[in-house]
Formats: sequence, C-alpha cells, structure tokens
Amino acid sequence: MAEGSVIGRETVVRGNVRGSGGLEILGRVEGDVSIEGDVLLGDGAAVRGNISGAQLTIGGAVLGDLRGTESVLVEAGARVVGDLLAPRIGIAEGALVRGNVRTEGEPALAPPAAKRPVPGQRPISSFSAPRQVSPSITRPSPVEARPIERERPAERVEAKAQPAETPATKSSPENEPPPPIVPALPKNARGKKKSRPK
Amino acid sequence: MAGTVIGEGLTIEGEVTSDEEVVVHGTLRGTLKCGDVVSVGSGAVIEADVDASSLSVAGHVTGNVNASERVDLQAGGRLVGDVKAARLTIADGASFKGNVDMEV
Repeated sequence: MAEGSVIGRETVVRGNVRGSGGLEILGRVEGDVSIEGDVLLGDGAAVRGNISGAQLTIGGAVLGDLRGTESVLVEAGARVVGDLLAPRIGIAEGALVRGNVRTEGEPALAPPAAKRPVPGQRPISSFSAPRQVSPSITRPSPVEARPIERERPAERVEAKAQPAETPATKSSPENEPPPPIVPALPKNARGKKKSRPK
Repeated sequence: MAGTVIGEGLTIEGEVTSDEEVVVHGTLRGTLKCGDVVSVGSGAVIEADVDASSLSVAGHVTGNVNASERVDLQAGGRLVGDVKAARLTIADGASFKGNVDMEV
C-alpha cells in the first residue's frame, strides 16, 4: 500500500492535509486539502475548507472551493457551497452546488465525461455549415442567406472571403442605398454641432 | 482495512481525532487522539503528542505518548518523548529517549 491515504469514517482532522498520492475522505476535515493525486470524498464525509487535487470526486458535503487540475465531479447527493474550477466539471442530477463554476485549462487527455462531447460537436457543425452555405449564396435567394448571416457570425467571414459572389447578390435586389448615407453622416454631424451651441 | 491511513507522501498538520485504527506511513504534526490502535510505519514521521489505546512504532515519533493499553517500540523505530502506558516493550535495535510511567 503506502500510495493511497484514507481518512476514515470515525476520524476528524482539524488542520491542513497536503502531499502526494490519492486521498479518500470518509470522515471529516476542517482545513484545506491540497493533494497532487486524486481526492475522493465519500458519501457522508464533510470538508470545511478548500480542496485541490488532480481529479476530485465529491459525494459528501464541502464548504469551500474545489479546484481540480484535471476534473471535478460532483455526484448525486453531494452538497457543495463554494466555487468549482477545473478543465472538466461534472455535476450529477441530485447534487447541490452553490457557487461559481468555471471550466478552465486544457483537458488532460481524452475526455471520459459524458458532458464533454456535447460542446465539442458544436464547432464541428459550424465549420461544416459555411462550406454548405457558400454554394447557397450563388442561388438567387438573398432572403434566405441574410438571416443565417445574423445567426452565425462565422459565416460572415466566409461571405467576405468571396467578394466575387457577394456583391452580385447584394446589388441586384436592393441597389445599395446605405453607401451614400455613410459619407453624408460626418457632414450632417458638423452641422448639428454648429446648431447645438445656438 | 484500516480505518484511517495516512499514506506515504501525505502530510497532516493539525489535530487528528479518531475512534478507529490509524496507520501512519506519512507525516503528522500536531496532535493524534485515537480510541483504537495506532501503527506508525517504518517511513513515518510523527511530531505530535499521541493518545491511543495502543501504539506500535516502527518509524520516528517525537512527542509524549499516552496509551491506555500498550506501547510497542519495534526494531528500527525511534521514540523521543515520555511514555505513559501500562505495558511497554522496546525491541532490540530501537531507539528511545524519555521517561516511562507504567502506573505502578
């Protein structure tokens, strides 16, 4: 053994716990816990202090901040009053969290959490969408292309990158009334400034 | 499985109170109160007053020891401090410096 540490169910620690190796807390800790390894806070355990470690799995009660260099997982039945900070954060249904939650830093390796693939799919679909839209701009339907431009800012870059197609679509339906207004604005602004002191 | 294990590489600074077996392979500074057996491994360092039912020392303990049953100082173990216990054994090769009170 000598690798993992256990604070048993009938044990209370008042003070700071730090070091390397995994730590399983089943009892009570009143103080900060700073471990280089993983921390498992069992059901019925309680910590009044900040916890930092690689992978934090919380099943008990914590009054303090949770900081994981890899992940923080708050299981059902757990109660956390404090901030959560880790590259991967999981909060199970039935868990109680009150505090600021931030996912920061690089994810260590392949994400095993079930929640991670969901934000990962969105950039994939948005990158594939402009490739499909660029031939759709050539179609004579500018009304359809405009609402898509407002919804997704990534497609505006695609539209500017192809100047040969975009002016053809814009000039044909509207004849561009806004350009003459834009140079007229500074002239009107000067006139208003003169009129305001009167 | 022991109730509480302070593994190698782990350091606790403060007060540890337990009603179950405590095994120390790491470092403990402060106070240790245990209603059960306390085992101090060969690589452990304890700089604390220890209050336990029985204590087995193979590592280094600096502090006063109060055991309701017994204290066993094993070979290679080192104990600096006063010992108050009904029974005390000191193995050959152990180091000990302090007073002994066997409640005669």
